[in-house]
Amino acid sequence: MTSQFIVIPDLCTGCLTCELACSFAHPVEGKPGRTRIVVYTTPVKELWIPVVCLQCDDPACVRSCLVDALRRNPATGAIELHQDKCVKCLACVAACPFGCSLLDGRHNLIVKCDLCSGDPVCAHFCPTKALSFRPFDTGLLKATA
Amino acid sequence: MVHLTLNGKIVQAREGEVLLSVIRREGISIPATCHHESVEAFGACRLCTVEITKKEWNGWKDYVTSCLYPVQNDLIVDTHSPAVVELRRTLIDLQLARCPNSPEIRQMAEEYGITTTSYEERPDGDNCILCGLCTRICDRMGFAAISTVGRGYGRRVAPPLDEPPPDCVGCLACALNCPTKVIPYVDKGTTRVIWTKQFELMTCTGCGRTTITRDFAKSLGESRQISLQYFEKCDDCHRRELSQTMTRIVSWQREEKP
Repeated sequence: MTSQFIVIPDLCTGCLTCELACSFAHPVEGKPGRTRIVVYTTPVKELWIPVVCLQCDDPACVRSCLVDALRRNPATGAIELHQDKCVKCLACVAACPFGCSLLDGRHNLIVKCDLCSGDPVCAHFCPTKALSFRPFDTGLLKATA
Repeated sequence: MVHLTLNGKIVQAREGEVLLSVIRREGISIPATCHHESVEAFGACRLCTVEITKKEWNGWKDYVTSCLYPVQNDLIVDTHSPAVVELRRTLIDLQLARCPNSPEIRQMAEEYGITTTSYEERPDGDNCILCGLCTRICDRMGFAAISTVGRGYGRRVAPPLDEPPPDCVGCLACALNCPTKVIPYVDKGTTRVIWTKQFELMTCTGCGRTTITRDFAKSLGESRQISLQYFEKCDDCHRRELSQTMTRIVSWQREEKP
């Protein structure tokens, strides 16, 4: 775990390219799947909020999973859902306090952001770099504050 | 690492792995209705049977359930040899005799060229193939609310004493993972009925959508120390809340440095 996924809502233009990229990066049966990142419009002028899994330190989804289908990948730090182990009890969907464990109702699958195994496609496609995946930089938090 | 021959191709496998996971990884499709990765292999349906042999066996062959058979060096595996396909056809034929009305079994039978069973159809047959996946998943999740009862011809899956099971929390894991979709459940308004037990569904305080049952949420709260507050809203409302919080933070920042 050497990099972090950074979302800077101030830079987001609401173009939804990330949602498209995510859908196409996670196809189901050759068709685009449900996006793991959702961009919300806000009443504030020129502000959009991309909502994506926060990969919590003490994740409620992992705690709620009774069959150990959700596990943290130590290489990327992302919590990954092992689809073949999932029994679709929806415990993680209900437990996540940020609503980032999603139900793909069309294919009856649970989906969540897994940082594309360490190379998030949405970050590549974000035209304004509101989403980025970069090595840990302690100076960044001070710079944006 | 273990090296074995699978359908004429030499493949690698981890020590202690079972044949079925190697077969699946190589993209070879064989039916395995009672198999689920979250529970231990059981070998109930026998459909994943494959033919194995070794050079030093001098032409002797064996037929094993691949979900239970550990990989070995120099093993020669055939998933679709004429003998094993015939064996699988017989098994599907028997399942079709038990569950003549199951669309899942019918479709599998058609793939193996069977339209009607050559055995006597069970007159009072339901669509349960008695693979035990529902009871095993229920055990794995720590509820153990249902089990198989009876023996032989009268064997079936049921809650204890055919009464509403006290340990069931209504998570639907049994019904949703059933290979023949035979376990009935009804979601109506804010109630759910499964195994004749009635449950109250949690209602989102934001939008009124129903989520999991209150009993399931309570049980998760107790066994996994998750606050019941987490279950009060649906995932949509949770996401919207997060975006509203972020909006507030950003607008404060903008006010501070215009």
